[in-house]
Amino acid sequence: MTRRSLSILLALGSLASAEIDFAHQVVPILREHCAKCHMEDNRKAGLSMNTLESLLEGSENGPIVEPGKADDSLFIEVLLSDDKSDRMPPKGDRLPPADIEILRQWINEGMKWEPGFTFGKDAYEPPLKPRRPELPPIVDGRSHPVDRIIDLHLTSNKITHPPALDDASFLRRASLDLTGLLPSPSEIESFAADQDPDKRAKRIATLLADDTAYADHWISFWNDLLRNDYQGTGYIDGGRTQITAWLYQALRSNKPYDQFARELLAPPTPDSAGFINGIQWRGTVNASQTREVQFSQSISQTFLGLNMKCASCHDSFVDRWKLDEAYGLAAIFSDHPIEIARCDKPTGRIAKPSWIFPELGNIDPAAPKPERLKQLAALMTHPDNGRFTRTIVNRLWQRLMGRGIVHPVDAMDTEPWNEDLLDHLATQFTDDGYDLRKALAHIATSAIYQSQAIITEDPAKAAEFRGPVAKRLTAEQFVDAVWSLTGTAPAQPHQAVAAARSNTGSTNLQAKWIWSYPTASASSPANEKITLGTEFDLTEIPASARAVYIADNDGILYLNGKEISRTQGDPAAREANLTGLRPGKNHLIVVATNGGATPNPAGFVFEAHLTFPNKESLVLTSNASWKWTSNIPGPDGTFSTPPGNWQPAAEVQNQAVWNAFAASLHPGPASTNTASFTRASLVPADLLMRALGRPNREQIVSMRPDNVTTLEAIDLANGNQLAQLLKRGATTLASNNPNTASLIDDLFLRALTRPPAPAEKSALLAAIGPQASPQSVEDLLWMILLLPEFQFVR
Amino acid sequence: MSFSNNIPEPTSRRHFLQALSASSLAALMSGAPRLRAEEPVKHPAAKADCCILLWMGGGMAAPEMFDPKAYQPFQKGLPIEKVLSTFPAINTSLDGVKISEGLPEIAKIMDRATLIRSHVQPDLGTILHSRHQYHWHTGYVPPQTVAAPHIGAWMARILGPRNPVMPAFINIGQRLEGVGESEELKAFTTAGFFGAEFGPFNLPFPDEAARSVKPPDGMDAGRFANRYQLYRKLVDANPRRDFMSDHQQESMLRAMDNAHRLLQSKDKAAFDLTEENKSVLDAYGDTRFGRGCLLARRLAEAGARFIEVTTEYVPFVHWDTHESGHDTVARLKKEIDRPIAQLIRDLEQRDMLDRTLVIIASEFSRDMMMEGAPGSEARDQATAKSDTLEEPKHYGLHRHFTGGSSVLMFGGGTKKGHVHGATADERPLVAIKDPVTITDLHATIFTAMGISPKAVYDIEKRPFYATEDGKGTPVQSIFA
Repeated sequence: MTRRSLSILLALGSLASAEIDFAHQVVPILREHCAKCHMEDNRKAGLSMNTLESLLEGSENGPIVEPGKADDSLFIEVLLSDDKSDRMPPKGDRLPPADIEILRQWINEGMKWEPGFTFGKDAYEPPLKPRRPELPPIVDGRSHPVDRIIDLHLTSNKITHPPALDDASFLRRASLDLTGLLPSPSEIESFAADQDPDKRAKRIATLLADDTAYADHWISFWNDLLRNDYQGTGYIDGGRTQITAWLYQALRSNKPYDQFARELLAPPTPDSAGFINGIQWRGTVNASQTREVQFSQSISQTFLGLNMKCASCHDSFVDRWKLDEAYGLAAIFSDHPIEIARCDKPTGRIAKPSWIFPELGNIDPAAPKPERLKQLAALMTHPDNGRFTRTIVNRLWQRLMGRGIVHPVDAMDTEPWNEDLLDHLATQFTDDGYDLRKALAHIATSAIYQSQAIITEDPAKAAEFRGPVAKRLTAEQFVDAVWSLTGTAPAQPHQAVAAARSNTGSTNLQAKWIWSYPTASASSPANEKITLGTEFDLTEIPASARAVYIADNDGILYLNGKEISRTQGDPAAREANLTGLRPGKNHLIVVATNGGATPNPAGFVFEAHLTFPNKESLVLTSNASWKWTSNIPGPDGTFSTPPGNWQPAAEVQNQAVWNAFAASLHPGPASTNTASFTRASLVPADLLMRALGRPNREQIVSMRPDNVTTLEAIDLANGNQLAQLLKRGATTLASNNPNTASLIDDLFLRALTRPPAPAEKSALLAAIGPQASPQSVEDLLWMILLLPEFQFVR
Repeated sequence: MSFSNNIPEPTSRRHFLQALSASSLAALMSGAPRLRAEEPVKHPAAKADCCILLWMGGGMAAPEMFDPKAYQPFQKGLPIEKVLSTFPAINTSLDGVKISEGLPEIAKIMDRATLIRSHVQPDLGTILHSRHQYHWHTGYVPPQTVAAPHIGAWMARILGPRNPVMPAFINIGQRLEGVGESEELKAFTTAGFFGAEFGPFNLPFPDEAARSVKPPDGMDAGRFANRYQLYRKLVDANPRRDFMSDHQQESMLRAMDNAHRLLQSKDKAAFDLTEENKSVLDAYGDTRFGRGCLLARRLAEAGARFIEVTTEYVPFVHWDTHESGHDTVARLKKEIDRPIAQLIRDLEQRDMLDRTLVIIASEFSRDMMMEGAPGSEARDQATAKSDTLEEPKHYGLHRHFTGGSSVLMFGGGTKKGHVHGATADERPLVAIKDPVTITDLHATIFTAMGISPKAVYDIEKRPFYATEDGKGTPVQSIFA
């Protein structure tokens, strides 16, 4: 049997009893043939087909169709008629019989209509250009522009202004919102003591001036929005590439958002190219998921809060976007002419590179791709593109206030609850030079931000703005808090950024990942153990010799017959000092073992920077010049008999597979900045973080789940990962704080930014006793961490 | 233990939704899915209350299992195109229906089975197991523009657990970290846009399942209970309690309560295999899959709604035979034959089988020659390539085949002793009679469970159906 007959068989199997699909089968026919006279504002002969109701109402001569009665209907009759006086459509070709059959069947099946669907115009069309609203008068001395707008909103909706937030709560909220960290006891104390009336604005400025803390926190927001830090096979297949180093640096340096967007849309270097490259899926994919169409969807969602997903299959039923517009964007990115597919079926039409707001200009379809991308970047960040700025300020507002001015934040086609507020924030943002930190400061310095969170009954119904809404801690905020309260943060970030943190320049690893054979990066037997080695000559002993390396999974480094470092378990970045170097020949070997219970990727990477007294330097890197042997040296790192089977090591294929790990290596001279603590955002997601909502990132995520689910609660109640962290932390805390009362005070202050209330303290003291055991400290930590007061930023 | 006495059945679905709604309300906020209220979906009457999916991850070769073809013993130098099946066929308790040698226990219970021999999957180009598994488990071909829910999550979302204390959707035997394609496995082992509340409770190691519902290591039950009691006291003593008595706080506290209800309930014993005596443990066999089947039975008894037990997908391991297929399948048969049969017998003995749908399935079949479907240009991924049989590693079905595979079902209202569809007896071994697509198979499973294949939720203003575009049609002829 041939393939052809099989597919026919399958097609019959699925068609036989299929019901007509209104959205995919009926809408296109009606739109193509009836729109000119009977849709939107057109009602020739009194007939409007905008809605099912209007269609059933019929024309000025009465009903034209009834559900279930196709053959009795005037509707079908005029479609079939050849009589020039009453046939429909009156001019042009007759409808294809197959289309008429679809309509007939649809009528006979009861004329199912997509609920809420209309061929009429959507009621709300957001403006394109920026607008500078006039600010309402100042009320109660609240002169901040945001407050002037909010005060008018509240009074005109008869809503009482929420009470002001106390200092401590403000400090906790601002610290978590802006840097993701809890305030320290000394910060709490000095803030409370500060008599400066301007201390809140100053505190906001200080928080935002901490480049590292700001970048460590906001990188999660951007990773979600740019689907960065994705670990799937898109990498193996050459699609998605990391932009972590670029992103981290952009956040640290507070790159203006227009430039930020331009570098993502028209990457000047490969460092920021990962976003538009999208994910290359292995095998064939639906036409709406090719990398070109992903581009169309991703740039629309991320920068404009628009949903181009519907329109990448067919003209959208829920908003104004058309298939051709989705493909117009896709064609900007495409390396070759692309054919428009409708619902995964080719249409025969070739997409023309074009921009969705031609009022601002358009793309030259004849220009080469890099030029087209530059034109797109310029149009996206065009000063008159108010939708670009409104989208980002709305996202920032949602992060700080708990709910967007347009909500959900990716539905920027829908009406904001206050246009003036959105427009003000957007124009202020442009005035401030597209400065993201200033935009955050602008919101955070308002009295409304510094108000108590409102009590929500049902967030689903909270369309009306009454004040800030409490936000759930993100997975990263929670894990950071646990690590800082218990002192259990990992020693080094596994990922990204070490170089950017210490500003020592190069983030590029020169070393190559190696193993005994090139396919080790795809799969290598569990527990495969090999020895890798290299020899090098030195004329003198260097003044400093620092190495970074990763062995997946275990490795022991021997220099001139002495162990200098070892690593075990996770493929984590390690630093080592090359102690024992000597003039003349040196030999460095590593016994590397692949971990796991089943075959998995294996690799080793090493880079050392040697600086000599005369300031000259030498870089040693793992590469194909290394040798390997299956012989394993003794525990002192020497072979009883020199192995005769040294063979050239192989640079492994798909070096990019290791990017996530390699990014954590910070080659170059040692950093002097050892104070920054490793943040959850900078290490690969583990099961605890996944459980708490850190996404996989194969999709863009603009809002994380804000409820704690039962499955998460189970994880938090008995998951060993959290339990082990608490256990480790509790042991230290218990030995450092023999006095339960002061320990309780300290933990409450650090976790909740307030002392315990008498009832809380007495309940805890009664249960724990005056001398806390490690176990009771562990339980105390757990109880505090799981308090709703802790879990939410209020 | 009697099935019906043990499980408090909800009086109505509405009752269940109310019980669930507390924690899921927040999920309704913003971009979260919304039931399309204007479009009433009529659910069919349920034939089954519980669904157990026994997943042969990696591609179970139908000709080596439930759809044997001409047997070809190993013969050095034989052209591989001569090989259809590497095992002889054996008779079963169902007259005229043979299955492959090495499944003696399943052969004995075939008279209670419905066997679909014409399950077909689309050819997605170069095979990536996890993409086909995503398709099979969600009904949608990846990548999707929204996160598609697993079929277990649909059941959790619409039906909830049978016993409110139990997680509705339990996933046994699959590690999600430290194995190949783990990101891709995670992509469908999820409730997707329904939100984590309806996601899987993952138990990769059945023997350790009890640990997932016990206090953390080193904490006894008393201390665990005291901790929670003190926690509640602390919540009540919170000076800001009244300022925060809102939806968010209450839903979190409810989640904590639900969690502790399970962790302190009698029902959690269902997770503990040490409560079974040795003869039962022996009957299920000392393998992760065997123990998984036993665990599934206990969880079904305790009131879970959907349970998946997998032989575990690990690239190139188990059913994913790129070489030495014959030997590997012989080993796997030993591993699954007794536990599957024992599970069916146990369910039967407990009067549970009629209301429990058990499905044995895989993402596609395998063939000696053909990669994908006939005409496919998919890359040949066999690792021991040879045009003739030279050594045992060449002997086995080493290509991924999507043109015809088998699904074995028991209980849940299906016919007892029934074969649906057929594949050709000569290569290509494609389905030649009554093909069943993933969409229609899901429609069948959902229908058995009392869920309309047209059940629909709104996500990003797009209707998202239980079966692709709401088009799944149940294979009614397999129901008794």
